[in-house]
Amino acid sequence: MRTVAIFSEADRESLHVRQADEAFCVGPGPVQRSYLNIPNIISTALITGCDAIHPGYGFLAENARFAQICADHGLTFIGPKPDVVAAMGDKATAKRVMREAGIATTPGTDILETLDDALSAAQEIGYPVLLKATAGGGGKGMRAVESAGEMERALASATAEAEASFKDGRVYLEKLILDPRHIEVQVLGDEFGSVVHLGERDCSVQKPSHQKLIEESPTPHLSDAARSSLLEMAVRACKHVQYSNAGTLEFLVSGDDVYFMEMNTRIQVEHPVTEMVYSVDLVKEQIRIAAGEPLGYAQHDLALRGHAIECRINAEDPHNNFAPQAGTLTKVVFPGGPGVRVDTHVFSGAVVPPYYDSMIAKVIAFGASREAAIARMERALRETVVEGVSTTIGCCLEILATPEFREGRYDIGFLPKLLKQFGDPVVLTGASPAAPRRRRAKPVGSPTDT
Amino acid sequence: MPRDVAPAGGHARERESLAPMSDPYPSSALAGRVRALAELLVETDLLRLRIEREGEEIELGRRAMHPDVVPEVPADLGALDARPARAEQIRADLVGIFHLSRPAPAEGDLLEGDRELAFIEALGIRNPVRSLGPGRILAIRRGDGQPVEYGSVLFEIDRG
Repeated sequence: MRTVAIFSEADRESLHVRQADEAFCVGPGPVQRSYLNIPNIISTALITGCDAIHPGYGFLAENARFAQICADHGLTFIGPKPDVVAAMGDKATAKRVMREAGIATTPGTDILETLDDALSAAQEIGYPVLLKATAGGGGKGMRAVESAGEMERALASATAEAEASFKDGRVYLEKLILDPRHIEVQVLGDEFGSVVHLGERDCSVQKPSHQKLIEESPTPHLSDAARSSLLEMAVRACKHVQYSNAGTLEFLVSGDDVYFMEMNTRIQVEHPVTEMVYSVDLVKEQIRIAAGEPLGYAQHDLALRGHAIECRINAEDPHNNFAPQAGTLTKVVFPGGPGVRVDTHVFSGAVVPPYYDSMIAKVIAFGASREAAIARMERALRETVVEGVSTTIGCCLEILATPEFREGRYDIGFLPKLLKQFGDPVVLTGASPAAPRRRRAKPVGSPTDT
Repeated sequence: MPRDVAPAGGHARERESLAPMSDPYPSSALAGRVRALAELLVETDLLRLRIEREGEEIELGRRAMHPDVVPEVPADLGALDARPARAEQIRADLVGIFHLSRPAPAEGDLLEGDRELAFIEALGIRNPVRSLGPGRILAIRRGDGQPVEYGSVLFEIDRG
């Protein structure tokens, strides 16, 4: 199968441009003029003779209008049908559909029209509440609101961020459940009504901005009953909406309570951990399904094996609230060896532009057990060298070394609390599990971070 | 649709032009004279040769070996410097198929004002590419019917 990559002027030297059979520049660095430039993307597909478009996991991946435009031009959108993207990719609508299917959801609203709507809904639900972008993901367009006095400013900034990130500024509101676990279920459905799950991922290690930093599969310390309930709900939900292609249902788990939170109608950043433990190439499955092929296997044909962990290597400064870093990567060395996978678009000499998400690589480690996967991840991160910008490598190592993570007893409040505990600046890096914590040593994510 | 116009990178223009002249020679004599001057040009490092005599004006330029190669032109060549005072590139600001407008422009053409030089066909829409002012076409960088990406150089214009 031949590939055509699109890129912005800022990404001209990116690895995906070099590795594709053809590559077309669709605009300048700012996303509105390149990666969200639908006419240029469609035009590229048409003049290069593409059959299908894989939208990746950002930008237009959950844009129903884009999926429909693809169909209108005879291009296969590698994802669900446009009406399903519209229903399930729109997070407020998705919750309504899930309630119809008998699945518990967090108390919340539909799309907010006015500030007064937000204030009255929050009053009814009870503070704290969470504003969320209906087209969102990755923590973009999301704001926690503790009291009515914070609402106006939070609503304005969430709307603006959602508009800038997704070309859709609509937001909704839901009850903020304090310190739950964020557990999501990977599903695959074909166009003939077959749906399977590929287990769950624990994505509770999140930055204060709610962006995930470390994910793992399977979830530690999840009872068999809770796991069965989650997986059954996910499959039931997908059958309810006749879902086809890859998708993820995200749940908040607090004690014995499980709430459907949202569905991502696309492949996700953290999909490699599922690929590692199920030995399934999810992107290949996406393409097969979009081509009209049946899944060809049933739930009982799928077996989970071992444990996998992903650490996101972001060009960010953990000292400064994970502020994105731009600049030239003067030296990059990635790890290897059995059970280690690296997904990346950068290399020594690559430039990290200021326009996009700050993730520059994903390191994934597999082990026969969770302990083996953690040990392998620590070795892999220590082998990783990224010089020129601050990164999250040291921060990830620090998290892996905590008793909470090693015991698998953490929730989404874990990392924010850890950061507060360390104070500002966080100073530990590269600590082994046995190493004592030090303060004001080598800064996390320094330009010589390794 | 507005075009992005940027100064040329400064590389040697592809020029082979004869300035307007009152021609006292029959065409065969002119051809022989030009051929002799062209050979002289090849034997030297000169990029441009201009001869003016009573009622006669001949100007010759030659191509660089590669469009991306910038030949070193000594500053003291003065009037013989082939670089126009103001060269601009007209670039594509969308993705599509490039077509020359009719009548088709040619390298060396003088542009007296704003003129449609070409269009980019994208999603069935004809998006004109205009000269955005007077000048002379130094180079046409895309062939008729070729796909173009955002930022592709389409024309180089001497605004001098």
